[in-house]
Amino acid sequence: FVSYQVEILDWKTKEQLCFLDKVEPNATIREIRLMFHKFYPRWYPARQSIKLDPKGKSLRDEEILQHLPVGTTATLYFKDLGPQIGWTTVFLIEYTGPLFIYFLFYFRMPFVYGLDERFTSSPHPVVNLACICHSFHYIKRLIETVFVHRFSHGTMPLRNIVKNCLYYWGFAAWLAYYINHPLYTPPSYGKKQINFAVIMFLLCEAGNFSIHVALSDLRRNGSKTRKIPYPTKNPFTWLFFFVSCPNYTYEVGTWISFTIMTQCVPVGLFTLLCFIQMTIWAKDKHCTYLREFKDYPSLRMPIIPFLL
Amino acid sequence: MAGPSLRPHVHWAQRHRELYLRVELSDVQNPDVAITDNVLHFRAQGHGAKGDNIYEFQIEFLEPVEPKPVCRVTQRQLNITVQKKESNWWERLTKQEKRPLFLAPDFDRWLDESDAEMELKEKEEEKINKMKIESRVPKDPFKHLKKGYLVMYNLVQFLGFSWIFVNMTVRLFILGKDSFYDTFHTIADMMYFCQTLALMEIVNSLIGLVRSPLIPAVMQIFGRNFILFVVLGSLEEMQSKPVVFFIFYFWSVIELFRYPYYMLSCIGIEWKPLTWLRYTAWIPLYPLGGLAEAVCIVQSIPIFSETGKFSLGLPNPLNVTIQFSFLLQIYLIALFLGVFVNFRHLYKQRKQHLGPKKRKMK
Repeated sequence: FVSYQVEILDWKTKEQLCFLDKVEPNATIREIRLMFHKFYPRWYPARQSIKLDPKGKSLRDEEILQHLPVGTTATLYFKDLGPQIGWTTVFLIEYTGPLFIYFLFYFRMPFVYGLDERFTSSPHPVVNLACICHSFHYIKRLIETVFVHRFSHGTMPLRNIVKNCLYYWGFAAWLAYYINHPLYTPPSYGKKQINFAVIMFLLCEAGNFSIHVALSDLRRNGSKTRKIPYPTKNPFTWLFFFVSCPNYTYEVGTWISFTIMTQCVPVGLFTLLCFIQMTIWAKDKHCTYLREFKDYPSLRMPIIPFLL
Repeated sequence: MAGPSLRPHVHWAQRHRELYLRVELSDVQNPDVAITDNVLHFRAQGHGAKGDNIYEFQIEFLEPVEPKPVCRVTQRQLNITVQKKESNWWERLTKQEKRPLFLAPDFDRWLDESDAEMELKEKEEEKINKMKIESRVPKDPFKHLKKGYLVMYNLVQFLGFSWIFVNMTVRLFILGKDSFYDTFHTIADMMYFCQTLALMEIVNSLIGLVRSPLIPAVMQIFGRNFILFVVLGSLEEMQSKPVVFFIFYFWSVIELFRYPYYMLSCIGIEWKPLTWLRYTAWIPLYPLGGLAEAVCIVQSIPIFSETGKFSLGLPNPLNVTIQFSFLLQIYLIALFLGVFVNFRHLYKQRKQHLGPKKRKMK
């Protein structure tokens, strides 16, 4: 029985930050992070990047000390990832913002459209419908964040939340401004356009929810490993035959339907940016699936069946 | 004297296809190395941690291996290379979970899985590169046609901008400051022609006819044409402002050096003074040109605000408001950033082309 000694150096200055004596050979990196945290209370485990090489990848929590290519005196490098924030917290903040910001414009707060228009309501039913749909979308997202999603990474850097909130909240304000404006023009094709949009909206929201539930079922017992998602009895999940990330496909569909419903350029612009962002994420995920699984279904495309 | 068998120190490392074992024994004479039933049996007389003795060890491998180990003996150690039956990354060497005490990782040869993959990829790329160099590149049948077209293009542009420059200079001498006010009316047609033709530069870069990168070319053409067609072309009021003279003058002087340089380099001639001019004249001219364009935009913003040109107000079926004057203000910021970034890019280019000056050997 050989007990290990672990020294942890700063990745840049190489000064010794901590020396751990009598470490068990089967200690996990998670335990080492906890021990390091005792020495430096401000660097909680989520913020620590522990690596074998100063320029290398961060070691995972599950790695075991004796399986690493280190001698009995192990040298590890530490990098501070900065203040971290949990994914659940981030999503809650990101999605609550647009929900309430939209209401500011829907109820025509005095500072938005001027005192003359304060607290008036729009003569167009589609404006009320748009408010319902927009709110439904974000409430659904909040519910999913709390009850459905299972995240593989615990945290993200704190500065991300500022960037993300500016984006979501800013766009919500911009599009809400035009939809609830006193001079808003309803869609050119009238009821036909609106009804079509509403049906498409509901279908896509149902689809998106089904996919999220299916993905979360893959990780039912708290495992963090990746598995290939397959279509289930739910017809909405049959999109898995054609696409790796149908949740993104349905999400883009939701926003396209909202654009058609409101016939508003800012919404269209937001839809376009969403589409671009989600295509990038979908391609990434698709590549990861292809790399990890040799028997990955070859018919599947990242986000649009047969095309993209 | 049959004592308990001594184990040597063994260090191991792996790649996707093979395993490396380094046995720390020196002066080994006749090593007995064999693999049976996926177990490596080693026995040899040599000098190790416990002096001159017989050392032996056995290792049962985690996964199947080829039964023919390759052994290389040096004075200080013994290297055994074992081929894996399947190309796989092993999480440990031995079938048993507990690592034998005589076995340790070999830090000199160790790579983790992703680095080993990269090593494989690099080796494959090297092979491909070698094959590319060795196979001869077929000669381009259209080479002369392409060169001719480029020379013609650069020549036409050079003539166009020379006409503009000469015309403006002559008028400056004759009319003095008064020439500023109707520069646009006399010069605009030729400038429209030259700048429209300049779209070919984007095409040339796109189809690979010219080696210069696409994005800077697009930005430059877009920037100039925006000023020319949108800001100046659509507003009569802007056309009689003196800033037009400066914009046109700066543009034409820069092009007076750029196009002849390209023309000559197409034919393969280099005239050193011209090269120097082409890579130096932009240092004062480019920022000044940018400044003139900025002044032009600043002067045009109130006019766009008043006339509401290119702007869209509510109510409209698109449910959006576009205020062109606001977009111009954003464009102004982008212009400064663009000039700054481009300046650095051109400076780097200059260093590359004019090379390090005077090398004095002492």
